Amino acid sequence: MSTTQTPMLATRLRSLQALGIFCGFAAGAWLGGAEAPIKLVNPDISPITVSLIMVCGVFLARWSVPAFIRGTSHVRNDVRQAPHLIVWAVLAGCMWAVANTLTIYAIRNVGLSIAFPLWNTNSLLGIFWGFLLFNELHYAGWKRWLGVIGGAICMFAGATLLAIASSHEAAPGKAALGIFAALGAGILWGTMYIPYRKAYLTGMNPLSFITFFTVGEVVTMTLLALGYRGATPLWHELTSARDVLFWLMLGGFVWVLGDLFQQYATKYVGISRGIPLSNTNQLWGLLWGVLVFHELRGASQSVYVQVAGGSILMALGAVAIALSSATAREHSSWQDAADREGARYGVEGEYVRAGMEGREYESGSTRRTLIDWILILGTTALFAPLAAIAKFPHMDIGLGWAIALSVAMLSLLATCGIALWRTTRFR
Amino acid sequence: MITPNQNESRKLFRAIATDIHFWIPLCVLVAGLVLLDKLR
Repeated sequence: MSTTQTPMLATRLRSLQALGIFCGFAAGAWLGGAEAPIKLVNPDISPITVSLIMVCGVFLARWSVPAFIRGTSHVRNDVRQAPHLIVWAVLAGCMWAVANTLTIYAIRNVGLSIAFPLWNTNSLLGIFWGFLLFNELHYAGWKRWLGVIGGAICMFAGATLLAIASSHEAAPGKAALGIFAALGAGILWGTMYIPYRKAYLTGMNPLSFITFFTVGEVVTMTLLALGYRGATPLWHELTSARDVLFWLMLGGFVWVLGDLFQQYATKYVGISRGIPLSNTNQLWGLLWGVLVFHELRGASQSVYVQVAGGSILMALGAVAIALSSATAREHSSWQDAADREGARYGVEGEYVRAGMEGREYESGSTRRTLIDWILILGTTALFAPLAAIAKFPHMDIGLGWAIALSVAMLSLLATCGIALWRTTRFR
Repeated sequence: MITPNQNESRKLFRAIATDIHFWIPLCVLVAGLVLLDKLR
């Protein structure tokens, strides 16, 4: 155990662990719900362009949501304390953009049924990096090891069944390329959690991390789109897609809310537990697909059996992980890793400790500045006209279910948001 | 003459350049870009 830090109070540790697990489930709901607006978009638009427009929505959300929640002055404070983390945030953003583009090629070449489980291995890789680099699952005991590894494998099996049930046909002759693309995306996403964990062990606020993360995301995605499509064809495609810009950017915005919960889950329960819990997004995506967009209408009984089996397996895996939260002894080895980071980069010990305990480091002003209001109003001003010109496609949609799922997501947003505020003030 | 600010920047740069946590994601990113280029 670290000699420079006293262990966190057991009650505080328990409440932060419960909060992190709650955030993991909320992340699953919102990351899965982000697929809904995208389903309203004409499939004729190129995947790279779809990805670029979504990332524009993501960029706006990643700056305006932190400005709305806590104001951007906290971002400046975090950067002053740990400037080195900007490098990791931008690096993680670049990785996300490349992984996301790889998934497009994977789905195109081998179909969702093969691609999804392959890139879902990211959670297993996340567990590996968490153990190897950040002392996660050290002194955890065999029951918690079994809970986390068994739960992740259970979720992987469930994800495979769900993906097979909701699959599209693969393009023949390109299977190897598609498998490489899916595995590549899984490795990129699994490794992307190294910067996440590094930032949160050091005490950085997730709201600060994502503002720099998105710079890497938007720059990489713009370069990829320009390189793959060319400036003029890309511009023509963007202008001809103006009717659906709102839906795609809304998908990006919803995705950011899910990702924000994922970041808090990573911060409070680590990557070995937070990431598998966030992967329940596949269940929510399936609920939207089946109930709202009638994707399995007319399917055979075996498909429904696969869906039920896959869903139960995923739910069981998530429950196993949720019940395997870190003990005080394991948490003390996280503190050792945090000490190491603090010493290496000369970060103040009290800042690192406050971040791990989810409390305020400095009692500075929490008032929003003019810049915050410009960010909030500017984002609204961009979304409002796009919503006004957006067209709702002629689709058979289960409106009742759409409302029910939206209410469920909003309830999770409100309850988890309140829990984060009460427990950590969004630290 | 090296100012205190320059000294801090150098220390930070050295700390990042010798951190395995930086090189693992960077190598994976480069490999991802190479793979993406092959897939085009």
